[in-house]
Formats: sequence, structure tokens, C-alpha cells
Amino acid sequence: MTATRDLVADKREQFAFHDDIVYLAETKRGLTRETVEEISRFKNEPEWMLKYRLRSFDHFLKRPMPTWTDGLDRIDFDKIVYYRKPSEREERSWDDVPDQIKATFERLGIPEAERKFLAGVGAQYDSEVVYHSVKEELSKLGVVFMGTDQALVEYPEIFQKHFGTVVPAEDNKFSALNGAVWSGGSFVYVPKGVEVPLPLQAYFRINGENTGQFERTLIVVDEGAKVSYVEGCTAPIYATDSLHVAVVEVVALPGSKVRYTTIQNWSNDVYNLVTKRAHAYENATVEWIDANTGSRKTVKYPSIYLRGENSTADIISVAVAGKGQHQDTGAKAIHLAPNTRSRIVSKSVSKDGGRATYRGHLKVSPGATNVVASVRCDALMLDDISRSDTYPYIDIQEDDTTMTHEATVGKVSADQVFYLMSRGLTENEATNLIVQGFLEVFTKELPMEYAIEFNRLVKLEMEGSLG
Amino acid sequence: MTLAGAPRAARPARRTPHELTFTLEEALVEQFAAEEPEWLAADRRAALERFRALPIETNPLYTTYVDLRTTDLAEVTAWPEPAGAAPSGGAAALPEGAAGVAELVEDEVAAVALDDATRDAGVVLDTIGGLIRRDPALATRLLADARSLPIDDKLAQMTRAGWNQGVVLHVPAGVRLERPIVIRWEAGEPGRALLTRTILDLGEGAAAAVVEEHEPSSAANDRTGRQALFSGTLEVHLGAGADLSIASIQDLATGTVAFQHRQAEIGEGASLRWALAQLGGRLVRSRVDNRLAGDRSTVEQVEIVFGADDQLFDLTSYTRHIGRDTTGNLLSKAALLDATRSYMKGLIVIEPTAVGTDSFLGEFGMNLSKQARAVAIPSLEIDQPDCRRAAHSSSVGPIDETQLFYLESRGIDPAEARKFIVLGFLEPVVARVPLESARDQLRELLEAKWDVADRAGGAAASAA
Repeated sequence: MTATRDLVADKREQFAFHDDIVYLAETKRGLTRETVEEISRFKNEPEWMLKYRLRSFDHFLKRPMPTWTDGLDRIDFDKIVYYRKPSEREERSWDDVPDQIKATFERLGIPEAERKFLAGVGAQYDSEVVYHSVKEELSKLGVVFMGTDQALVEYPEIFQKHFGTVVPAEDNKFSALNGAVWSGGSFVYVPKGVEVPLPLQAYFRINGENTGQFERTLIVVDEGAKVSYVEGCTAPIYATDSLHVAVVEVVALPGSKVRYTTIQNWSNDVYNLVTKRAHAYENATVEWIDANTGSRKTVKYPSIYLRGENSTADIISVAVAGKGQHQDTGAKAIHLAPNTRSRIVSKSVSKDGGRATYRGHLKVSPGATNVVASVRCDALMLDDISRSDTYPYIDIQEDDTTMTHEATVGKVSADQVFYLMSRGLTENEATNLIVQGFLEVFTKELPMEYAIEFNRLVKLEMEGSLG
Repeated sequence: MTLAGAPRAARPARRTPHELTFTLEEALVEQFAAEEPEWLAADRRAALERFRALPIETNPLYTTYVDLRTTDLAEVTAWPEPAGAAPSGGAAALPEGAAGVAELVEDEVAAVALDDATRDAGVVLDTIGGLIRRDPALATRLLADARSLPIDDKLAQMTRAGWNQGVVLHVPAGVRLERPIVIRWEAGEPGRALLTRTILDLGEGAAAAVVEEHEPSSAANDRTGRQALFSGTLEVHLGAGADLSIASIQDLATGTVAFQHRQAEIGEGASLRWALAQLGGRLVRSRVDNRLAGDRSTVEQVEIVFGADDQLFDLTSYTRHIGRDTTGNLLSKAALLDATRSYMKGLIVIEPTAVGTDSFLGEFGMNLSKQARAVAIPSLEIDQPDCRRAAHSSSVGPIDETQLFYLESRGIDPAEARKFIVLGFLEPVVARVPLESARDQLRELLEAKWDVADRAGGAAASAA
């Protein structure tokens, strides 16, 4: 308990810095067919990718803006820079990384993290992966962990086989946008039977006012393989709206196990509209561990399509919505095969007028017999100017499904606060502790460093409101 | 792609799930309006305008769960004449144990009667036409209040614009009825649309129980015949401290499409209990709006669905907590045979003023066949965290094997045991019907529906 309290003294602004970078190549503001062609040309891409981008672009134009969540009409697509390249080529070793960028990474603590035990670093500085290293042992195992652009060049077969198969461009308006202008992101391939002993991690940052970040992540885990991928985000604060539209595709082949962990802490001007989806084949297990504390508005529902018999889905989704924020998050489990299992746990905290929305979908399709599924949503509201919504969709088309769903919404109990205060804590510390306890289902799933960082973020959020 | 000029067989145009094939003619609305007081005519016209402007579903949460494709109302027309008065002379026979009855058959009024004591207490049970003549002030208050039905609901506004039948029950302040009032509708004439309004108004401290029955008329078709439409409202006004129990048994023919809109404005300390049983109908689209406006008001709503063949039950309930210390307790249960679909959509809204709310919503499904489909969307929108409870819970599962095993171990044969478990699952509504004869009737209907499915080798066999 003491350790938790003494963890940090810093403030949110410390995460919010940006350096003046000379951009070597960037597109004009706004999105046109020419912009899309230009991006593809910059990257010197194969023809099929250019076609994919243009097809996505057409669909983006055609598709109406979703109206089931509000505020998206405030995004001004013409103000966004869709591609900007921070340095000319991908860097192999830390020494080659430009000093300015290196300084940014150092403030994020990457080199130490790597020295400790992390398997690889893929840091996204704006739209391109600039630094990437995979430890030798992983290379020996045949594990591929690199920028998505590089993978398109180096592993064209695996890439083309899986790219866009989990999240097609036509899936939704924002997956189409990503398909048109994607840049950067991580590519992971784990060969048959290989268990990656340490979590792979990538830091993402947006830098540059009005820079859109459209990273594309593709993770392919071959039969019987096992991997854990960790993604954490921080971003500088700017006055005008920033846009982050990512697509994450995970292919969990038979018998594999994949865990994907995200701590999302974009600054409060970012629209974070992300499509994350995994396909789980026979006997595969996919876990999404997803936390959202930042951004102005996040729309994200990590989804698992249980395509193979006896596959398992486990989703933990956490959201903290503070002043001016709307966390429209949740989870989806789509059962398409017999004997599949899913578990969704969602925890949200809203405060200072923030709005936390859980939106979920649990579907059992005809033929998916003997499914066991559960959905649990809990929401904590810290004051009466905040708002909490719960919209679970449950659609069962088999007769032997066992599905349970529970949801509760409440406030911090005055009794608990009083008790903790009687033990010498301030009201702020007491509330902080209760909130951290409420979110523990999530933090206990994180690697240790991330758990510390996440608790730190929650504490900063709390200080903003109560301190 | 077809070759230009190649002859092609005409195919019926594909319909979207949102397409309402029914047309409500303006001329008909005007024809009704011409005979009515100006305020009522204006109410109809305003409703017609809203009906025309609104989409079938205004709530973006639910637009993907609308499916009117099994309805075929293009050839269905509304009854052209306003219903007449109740037959005069000779007291109609009251059902045993009831204090009053209104019986309406298609566009005719078969009987409207109260027992003497109830009438002497000042209770009014009448057709809308009768009430306008009897008490214009009360009629204006009850009929012209635009908020008595959801203003953004296309079908509610359709009924409001085009109704030709209606019943009003008014219980004056302080009058507490011991025995229930029965309101019985018989509908289903092929090719006809019956649009009705029913209004229940309880004054301060009044108490009543109402049994509403929706039954097939003698002309009604089964699902293979020409369709009929029955679109009815139930508009409830509860004064401070009033207490009302409503039980509804809907067993329309499977050739009848039913649209139902029930809305209750619940005053301070008032309490409302709904028990709704949905058995019949080709497609039932029902919406219940509970507005807990008064402090300490409460609502309990229990709804069951027992579906067979390819029936679709599209049920939405909105519970809005506005006053302080209000209580909402909602339970929906669906047992689905064959290729039945059930969409259970429930939204609890806790407004910033609703301090001390206790609200629960439960949606439970039992799929008894591989073709059945249960959708549950139990939602919460909460603007006031200072509540006693705000929760929902939902489950879908097969017949509980443990229960089955237990019953079989007591010597009950498996088919019989299944029947017991399913009927037991639906019992919460049966137990809440306030009139013994209606309770027995509902039990018989449920049992008969199970037996038919059982004989057809549907339910019991496929669940085994």
C-alpha cells in the first residue's frame, strides 16, 4: 500500500512533450485519392497494396459516418496530415537512432526497459517504425518482430496471406480509412511450436500537431506457438483534434496462445478509433487485455471470432473517463464453432463529467453448439456530473448455449472511504485506493512494470480531479 | 449482371427489414377527424405528421434488430368507421370475480358493463366516444396529452392518428376496487387493421386491477392465411399514491401482426405492476415505457414470451427514473420453440434528478430448438450514481439438466419433466394475473402450446 502511494509525484504534463523534428517527407493536409497514391509511392509498395489502399479509400468515402455513438462528426478529416516520415530509413541499432528521437524514447524509459528483460522494442514515432530490435535468441527461434512496412518487403508471402483477412477494409468506415493510409505498426510472426519467453512490446507515440496515426498491426501465431504482445501509448497534448485510427489483426492458428495487452493513454485531444480483432482457430486461446485512460474519445471493442472448435476467448476491458472524455469501449465474442468458450470482464470509472460506455456483442451462431460464455460489466461513478452507459448485445442462436451476463453501476462507498480515512489516509488517497482495487482484475494481468505504470496513470487521473 | 434487353421474369422487390408495408390513408384520418371535436382532430393530424416523418426505429441502439419482413400488410386497410356505442339495455354478464368488463370485437363494441357498486363509486368504464359525450373535460385531459405515448415512435403515432376503437377506465381519487376490470379485445379479421387506444386513469390514492385479453376473433387466420393488423395502446396515468396491477394475455392468431404501445406516467408514491404474457401473433412489436416521475414511485414488470413456429417477438422496454427514491424491477423471460425469434431490448435510464434509485432489469432466454434465436440487449444509461442499485442481468441457457435429473429421479417421465420445467420458467407471469379464471386460462394456453409443439416432435424431441 505504501509503495503504491509513494510511486509517483509527477503530473500528466510530463508525458506531454514534443520535439521539433524536421519531417523529411509528408503529405499535404487532407485526404484525396492522390494522397493515397502518394503514400504508396513514398513507400515504394507493390501494386496489390496500392490497389488495396485505393479500394479502401473508395469504401471510406462511400461509408456513412456511424451515428450510434456521438461526436464523430466533429472530426475534420481535411485538417489531418495522413503521412509523415520522421527519418529516412529504418534503424537497426540504438546508436543509429537520431538523437532527438532517442531523447523522446529515453523519457519514455525504453532503453532501461529493454535492458531489464524485454524481448524487443518497436517504437513508432509518428508514422514509421524508426527503431526496432529483436534479441538474438528470438531471431534464432525464427520469431519475426518488425515494422509492418518492412514486413511487407521482407515477408511478402505471410504478409499477403493474412493482411486484411481478419479486418477487411469494408468492415467499417475507420478500417477503410486505415486501409487507405496505413503506415507503421508492428508485424509479428511466431513459427510453429515456438513459445516466446518474454513479452514483445512496442511504444507508440503521436508527434506533430494534427498528425493522424494510422498504424497497422498484424500478428500471426502459428500452430502451437505462444506469444504475449504489449502495447502502451502516450502522446503530447495539443489544442486541436488529433486522430488515431488503427487496425490490429491477430491470427491465432490451431493450438496457439496469444495475449495482447494495451494501455491506451493518448492525450485528451485525440480521437482514438481502433478496430482490433482476432481469429481463433481450433484449440487456440486469445486474450485481449485492454485499458483506456486517455484520448478525448475512444471507440474500441477488441473482438475475438472463435472460428475453430474448442477455442477460448478472454477479454478484460478497462476504461477511465475523466473531464471531457468519452470512453466508448467494450468487447465482442463471436462464437462460430462448437465447444468454444468466452469470458468478458469490463470495468469502467467515470468522473468529472466524463462518460464511460460499455458496448459489447456476444453472439452464438447456428452450429456453435455447447458454448459457454459470460459477460460481466461493472461501472464506478465518482460524482453525479459523470455518466455511465451499458449496452450489451447478446444474440444466441443455439439451444445448448450457457450464457450469463451481469452488470452493475455504483459509486464509491462512503463507508469504505471513511474506514480508510480512519486508518490515516486522506480522502483522495482512500478513493484512489478503492479505484485501484476496483480495477485490480485488470492490473493483476499486466507485466509488473506495466502494472506500476497503469496505477500511476490512474493516480494521475485521480489527482486531476480530487487534488 | 444481365445482358441488355434479355427478358427477365418479374421478381417481387426485396424488402428491407425496416419497411412497413401498411399505409394509413390521410383521407381516413380526415374522415374520423371530421366527426370529432377540434382538439381531437388536431391530435390525430399531429400524430399523422409524426408517423410520416419518423423512421420505424429511432433508437440507434436497436436499428439492427428490426425485422418486419414476415409481415405482409400491403393489402391490409384500417376499419373505415368509428366504433359505435355499447349495446344498450340489459346488463352484460360480468366474468366471475370481475367488477367490470369491456368487450370489443373487431370494430364493434360487444359489451361495456360495471357492477352497481363500482359504478356508484364513480368509476367510469366507457368507449372513448362515450367518454367524450359524458365528460368532455376528462376526455380532453386524457386524449389530447401528446406525451401519453412516445412522441418519437412511428407506430405509436400511427395508432394515435388512425384509431377507431377505444376504451377508458377512470377510477376517481380514493376509490379502491377490490375486483379486477376485464378488457377483452378480439381481432384478426383478414385484410383489416384494428387501431385502438386504451386509457387507464387512476386518481390520487385509487387502486385497481385490470386484465387485458387479446384474442383471435372468429374470422382470424392462421399464419398461412391473409394477414391482419392489431395495433393498440395502453396509456396509464397514476396519481399520487395510486396502485394498479395490469395483466395482459396476448394469444392472437398467428395470422395477426400486433403492434403494442404501453406507457405509464407514475405519480408520487404510486405503484404499478405489469404482468405481460405474449403467446400469439405472427410478429409482435411491443414497447413499454415506464416513467417514474413521482418521488418514491415504483414499477414492477414481468413479461413472458412463449413462441413457436417462426413467430418473432420484438419487445422493448424503457424505464425512466426521474423522481427521487424510485424503484424499478423488470423481468423478461422467453421460452422459444421451433424457429422462433425473440428480441428483448430493455433500457434503464437514471436521470440526474433520480437520487436514490433502485433499478434492476433481468432478461432470460431458453432456446428449446436449434433454430430458435434469443437476443437480449439489457442497457443502462446512468447520470446519477447515488443510487441504491442499478444493475441488470441476463442469461440464455438450455433446460437445466440438474432439474431434469431431479424430476426424473422422482419418477416423472422425461417429456413430462421438460414440460414442468418450461412452464415453471414462465410461471412468474401466471402467478401475477389477478383474476382466477384468467390465470387458469393462461395456464391452459401455455400447456396447450407446449403439447402441440410436443406432438409435432418439435420442442421436447429436439431439446433432448
